[in-house]
Amino acid sequence: MRKEDMVKLISAEGFEFVIDKDAAMVSQTINNMLTSPGSFAETQHGEVTFPEISTTILEKICKYFYWHLQFASGKETEFPIEPELTLELMMAANYLHT
Amino acid sequence: MMGGICSRKREQLVIENGGCRGVSERFCKIASSKWLGNSFSRPIVDCQPGRGKCPSLMDLCIYKIREDIDKYSSFSILPRDISQQIFNELIHSRCLTDVSLKAFRDCALQDVFLGEYPGVKDSWMDFISSQGSSLLSVDISSSDVTDSGLALLKDCPNLQTFAFNYTDQLSEHGLKHISGLSNLTSLSFKKCDAITAEGMRAFSNLINLEKLDLERCSGIHGGFFHLKGLLKLKSLNIRCCKCVTDLDLKAISGITSLKELQAFSSNITDVGVSYLKGLHNLTMLNLEGCNITNACLESISALVALAVLNLNRCRLNDDGWEKFSGNKNLKVLSLGFSDITDACLVHLKDLTNLESLNLDSCGIGDEGLANLTGLTLLKTLELSDTEVASNGLRHLSGLTNLENLNLSFTLVNDSSLKKLSGLTSLKSLNLDARQITDAGLAALTSLTGLTHLDLFGARISDSGTKCLQYFKNLQSLEICGGGLTDAGVKNIKDLASLTLLNLSQNCNLTDKTLELASGLTALVSLNVSNSCITREGLQYLKPLKNLRSLSLESCKVTASDIKNLQSDALPNLISFRPE
Repeated sequence: MRKEDMVKLISAEGFEFVIDKDAAMVSQTINNMLTSPGSFAETQHGEVTFPEISTTILEKICKYFYWHLQFASGKETEFPIEPELTLELMMAANYLHT
Repeated sequence: MMGGICSRKREQLVIENGGCRGVSERFCKIASSKWLGNSFSRPIVDCQPGRGKCPSLMDLCIYKIREDIDKYSSFSILPRDISQQIFNELIHSRCLTDVSLKAFRDCALQDVFLGEYPGVKDSWMDFISSQGSSLLSVDISSSDVTDSGLALLKDCPNLQTFAFNYTDQLSEHGLKHISGLSNLTSLSFKKCDAITAEGMRAFSNLINLEKLDLERCSGIHGGFFHLKGLLKLKSLNIRCCKCVTDLDLKAISGITSLKELQAFSSNITDVGVSYLKGLHNLTMLNLEGCNITNACLESISALVALAVLNLNRCRLNDDGWEKFSGNKNLKVLSLGFSDITDACLVHLKDLTNLESLNLDSCGIGDEGLANLTGLTLLKTLELSDTEVASNGLRHLSGLTNLENLNLSFTLVNDSSLKKLSGLTSLKSLNLDARQITDAGLAALTSLTGLTHLDLFGARISDSGTKCLQYFKNLQSLEICGGGLTDAGVKNIKDLASLTLLNLSQNCNLTDKTLELASGLTALVSLNVSNSCITREGLQYLKPLKNLRSLSLESCKVTASDIKNLQSDALPNLISFRPE
C-alpha cells in the first residue's frame, strides 16, 4: 500500500490510527480537510489530529468507515454500537459529518 | 382543486374540506394519487439499517438510542441540534413516552412537534416549558392539554409558532395564557371552541403575528375587532367558519398588510366583500361556497394585487364581468360550479397572466373557448362537465404551455383530439368520456410527456392500448371502460413509472393481468375490481413492495386472502378491498 493512499488520524490522547484514505473520506469533514486547496498541514502530511475525540471513540469511528465501505459494496451487516459510547460517538459523528 | 385531474367531483369536495373519509363507492375511481399522499402521515421508506442507502453513523446512533431509550436519563449534555434529532426520531417512530420525555428536560430544543401524538397531556407541558427561551415552535394539536398546561408556555417567551388544533379541553379563559407571547408570528387553533369573541382578546397583544388560522372555529363571530392592531398580519384562514358574517370582515377592513384571506364556505355576502376593497396587498382570496353574487365583482376588481381568486360554487352568472378585466395580475381563477356561460368568458380574455382557469360544470361551450386563445401562459384548464364539444378544441391548439387539461364528461369526440396533438407540455390529461375510443387515443401519441392519463369511461380496447407505448412517463393510468382483456394489459406492463393503475370494470381480466402487472414495482395503488381475478392470482403481486392500496371488489378474492398476502409480502399495504 502506497503511503499517499493512507492517512493518519490522531486521537486526543495522541494514539495514531493509520487507515485507507478511501475509508477516511467517508467523513465529509475529513474529506474537506484532505482535499481543500492550499497547503494545510493535513493535506500535505495526510495527518489529522482530533484533540476532542478520545481513542475509544476514534477507533469506533474508523471501524464505521470500513463498515460503510463494505455496506456500499453490498455487504449489509449490522454495525454494533455499545450503549455507553452512544452519546460521545454522536458528538464526534456530528463533528465529522458522518 | 384545479388540476385534480384524476378525482371524481364528489371527492374534490372532500379533499377541499380536509376531511379524511376514504373512497367509499365500490366502483368509483381510485381518487387521485394526491389523496394517497395526504392521508398517510408517515413516509413509506423508513431509514433503517440494511435497506439500500447506507445509514450515517449519526443515524445508527439515533436508532440505537431509540432501542435503549429507557437507559438514558438525560440528553442535556448533548449539543442542541443532536438532542433535537433524537427527539424528532422518537416522535417519528412513536417511541416517545411519559418516561422517555424526562430525558429531554432542559435540552434547549427549538421544535416540539407533537401534533396528533398519542398521550400528550398537561404533564408534558412541564417538559416543553423547560426548553425555555430556546423554544421556537410547538404543535400540540389534538392533545389533552388544558388551560393549566397552556399556562406553562409563559416560560418560553421566544415562541414564534404555536399550533393547538382540534382541542376541546381549552376554555376562553385559558387562551389568556398566550397573550404574553408577543414574539408569535404564526398561530393555529383549527376547530377550537374556546376561540370565542371574548377569547380572541388574547390575540390583541400579539403584534408580530403574521399568520392566524381559525379554520372551523364556530364561535369567533364578533371577535374580529381584537385583530385590528395586528398590523403585520398577512394570512388569515377562516375556512368553514359558518358563524363569520359581513360585520366580521368590516372589523378587519383596515389590516392592509393582509395578503391571504381564506373564507371558503363562510357566511359572507356581497356586503362583506365590499369591506375588503382597501386591502390593496391582498394576493389570495378564497370565497368558494360563500353566499355571494355578481354584485361583489366591483369590490373584487379593486383588489388589483390579486393573483389567486377562488369563486367556485358561488351564485355567479354573466352579469357585470366587464369590471373584472382590470385584475391583470390574476394567475389562478376558479369559477367552477357557477352559472356563467360563454358571455362571461369574453371579459376574461385580457387576463393574460392566467396560469390556471377552472370552469368545471359551467355553461361553457365551444364559442366561449375562442376567448381563451390569448391566454398563452395557461398551464391548467379545467373544462370537466361543460358543453365543450369537438369544435372548441381548435381554440386550445395554441395553448402550448398547458400541462393539465380536463375534458371529462364533455362532448369532445375522437376526430377532434388531433387538435391537442401539439400540446406537448401536457402532463395530465383527463378524457373520461364515453364517446372517446381507440381512434382518439391514437391521435395523441405525440404527447410523450404525459404522466397522468385518465380514460376511465372511454371505450378503449386491446388494440387501442398499443398507443400507450408512447407514454413511457405515465405515473397514473385509468382505463375502466370494460373493453380490456389480458392481451391489452401486455401493452401496459412496460410502463415502469406507473404508481397508480386502475383497470376496474374490465370484467374479462384474469389472473394473467396480475402476472403481467407483477413487474410494475413502483405501483402504490392498484384497482382491478369487477374482474375474473381469483385468489391464485394474488401470488403475482408479491413483488409490488410499494403497494399501499389494492382494490379487488367483486372478484373471487376474500378479505382474508388479501390479509394473508399483506402479512406475507406486502407490509406497506394499508388500504384494501374487500376488507
